[in-house]
Amino acid sequence: MKKMLASTVAVMMMGSTLIACSSQADTKPTTDTQAPAATTATTYPMKTDKTLTYWGEMNGNLTGVKTAHSEVPFFQDWQKKTGVPVKFTAPPTGQVKEALNVMLASGDLPDMIEYNFLNDFPGGPEKAIKDGYILKLNDLFDKYAPNLKKYLKEHPEVDKLIKTDNGSYYAFPFIRGDDYLQVFQGPIIRKDWLDELGLPVPETIDEWTAALRAFKEKKGAAAPLSFVSKPRFFNESYNGAFLGAFGVNRNFYLEDGAIKFGPAESGYKEYLNLFHQWYQEGLLDKNIATADNKALDGGFASGATGASIGNAGGGIGKWQPLVQGKDPKAQLVAAPYPVVKKGDTPKFGQRGSAFDSGGMVAISTKAKDPALTAKLLDYGYGDEGHMFFNFGTEGVSYKDENGYPKYTDLLLKNPDKLAPAQAISLYTRGSYNGPFVQDKRYAEQFFTLETQRSAVNIWKKTDAAKYNLPPVTPTPEESTEYAKIMSDINTLVDEMTLKIILGNEKVVQFDSYLAKMKSLKLDRAIEIQKAAYDRFNKR
Amino acid sequence: MQTRKPKAGTNKYVRDLMLNKYLYIMMIPVLAYYVIFHYAPMYGALIAFKEYSPMKGILGSEWVGFAHFKDFFGSYYFWRILKNTIVISLYSLIFEFPAPIILALLINEVRSKMFKRVAQTITYMPYFISLVVICGIITDFTNADGVINRLFMLMGYDGQAMLQKPQLFRSIYILSEIWQRIGWESIIYIAALMSIDQEQYEAARMDGATRWKQILHITLPGILPTIAIMFILRMGNLLNVGFEKIILLYNPVTYDTADVISSFVYRKGLLEFGWSYSSAVGLFNSVINLVLLISANYISRKVNKSSLW
Repeated sequence: MKKMLASTVAVMMMGSTLIACSSQADTKPTTDTQAPAATTATTYPMKTDKTLTYWGEMNGNLTGVKTAHSEVPFFQDWQKKTGVPVKFTAPPTGQVKEALNVMLASGDLPDMIEYNFLNDFPGGPEKAIKDGYILKLNDLFDKYAPNLKKYLKEHPEVDKLIKTDNGSYYAFPFIRGDDYLQVFQGPIIRKDWLDELGLPVPETIDEWTAALRAFKEKKGAAAPLSFVSKPRFFNESYNGAFLGAFGVNRNFYLEDGAIKFGPAESGYKEYLNLFHQWYQEGLLDKNIATADNKALDGGFASGATGASIGNAGGGIGKWQPLVQGKDPKAQLVAAPYPVVKKGDTPKFGQRGSAFDSGGMVAISTKAKDPALTAKLLDYGYGDEGHMFFNFGTEGVSYKDENGYPKYTDLLLKNPDKLAPAQAISLYTRGSYNGPFVQDKRYAEQFFTLETQRSAVNIWKKTDAAKYNLPPVTPTPEESTEYAKIMSDINTLVDEMTLKIILGNEKVVQFDSYLAKMKSLKLDRAIEIQKAAYDRFNKR
Repeated sequence: MQTRKPKAGTNKYVRDLMLNKYLYIMMIPVLAYYVIFHYAPMYGALIAFKEYSPMKGILGSEWVGFAHFKDFFGSYYFWRILKNTIVISLYSLIFEFPAPIILALLINEVRSKMFKRVAQTITYMPYFISLVVICGIITDFTNADGVINRLFMLMGYDGQAMLQKPQLFRSIYILSEIWQRIGWESIIYIAALMSIDQEQYEAARMDGATRWKQILHITLPGILPTIAIMFILRMGNLLNVGFEKIILLYNPVTYDTADVISSFVYRKGLLEFGWSYSSAVGLFNSVINLVLLISANYISRKVNKSSLW
């Protein structure tokens, strides 16, 4: 405690000297009108008497630790370092979409909105701009975001991802700065059980069946394989685990230059067939349609569940202590994405793009001072901001060891008994997302277990990069039509998948579902995706 | 109230206003409530006929006529959600509506005051538990290894996750609804029972009526007007199946029997930002409710001589 107090005081003193320095440097005032068209670097902390407003969800890691942004040291320090006072509001966890909807309808918008405008805003970013919610940021980027501009110039492939077909920038993006950070999710299985039963880590579907069967019969697992099904069922399967073995995923993908919709392909039928068999045999959680995070955690803790799909951090990292609580020898490891024939490379698997659509921050049309807001958000892309967002404050949350930022014990062995994931989220945004470029060195320390570090290397061996669609942006007109079509089709697919797997309907019904999908204008949806993809290639 | 003699010469409305000014002042808050919270928002129903965008405002948005209504009636899911809404409403009318009446009659027949009070308290307790918690309890109880299934397993049946069975959804919904509301809703009937003249019972007993006959000929007719009013009120809400509970309990596999107009409106409006579409569907729902309310009131007035207006 004493140590913490001392370091806090030290930081505050550092902060105040910085302010003193910059105020000396700022003798001649630079107002917006005087600023030249060319980018000028901003000196932080800035001097302003305006308080900006920020709307965004609290990170899940902080649930139960802090209830508001203003209590989180990271957000307090962000204001100190940039010199801009910020007032935060957070939507209720898990209701971001509803809350944003209500806020937009009220017309009372904050300066900054942290929201996934690419995937979760019906109609996409172009529509959000056109409807007058958020600003097109091209001018602001040019004038007030030199750090981000510089990064985009050095990484044209990222630049292509973060704008729309019209070339509009719409948010300050979250960028995964290294290949290593783009894969973080995949199948997870109880290695100690496999060893005891004399089974290898399953690679093929047949080996999975054998392993799950053994879990059920010899280890008494009631729900050998289980997934989180909230808010959507089989949430994590969508990236292609198990489906990928049959050459499809749960979304649109690219194959031989054509765009295909996974659930409408024959591979999906084989997947349904397999899962129906697993369900009947009791290899799949009996409560699969209603299983949520809590239920899955409980399944691992009680030994009812031996396999799932999850993240290296939030999956293995969270469940390892739980399984060990019951059985000290227990060990969870990553299994490769399954294939049908041994030795094949899985077609799909989780692979984020360098531009991750979570954590982006847009500037609203009601922003009091867009220039100041842009300067505040640009901080995360500069050298100083990069260190701050990924590692926090030197001396408090990290120490410089020969040029390597090492997280301190405050984060990794927290005195208040917080898990590293929680403590890191208190002082940095490195472990989740935000308006900055993520640093690989965060993951090297965040993954405290050897199994977590190797998981990424196991999971990344897929062809997903070849088949996944890039972040395409339909035009506002197209996207209204697209949203209407896909809302019906997704309901149909969700229903069909669960019904067939649970045996309420026969697998042969798949063909009639296919006909229904066609009658709901699936072809038109594919056409729209294709057009958007073609435009993406021309960017 | 017009006891004092009005002055001659002034307009009779002004005179009335002067005489009863305190009564009128007392009415203002009530009127204001209805105007502000019930009539003013009706203006917002306009967006059902527009392509509403909050930034343009209600008046600034483009007119699209009946396009959203057409979309809804032509929707792939229209018949299913209409059917589900009506079926669930009818079920709750048949099974849930009489439940509190029966409970009230039962409680009325009990002699022990102590037991009466305890029974009442226990039955209306669930009404005060938050819906989210209730749904959590329901989910846990109906799990494949939940309490209810364990009971079935003891009796030799197979356990199964009940919320994954479309054919069970309505039963779970209605049963839990009864459990949740029976005690609370019986209060009004118990109050009505209190007002029945005790002498009638004495007279009936003199004539040799059994307890069953007393219920049939005194108690039930005594509370019939209350039942009729409650029934009419209920008709006005027939299609307003509580969406919160449906949303908390359903999942894609039970959409077949669980997806109702209000849950559909919620998905379209709040999750897909289809404000106009949603309000078109909501407006349709309200019109049907209005028609049902008026007809129920009409029938009740003809048959029963008691009605809301």
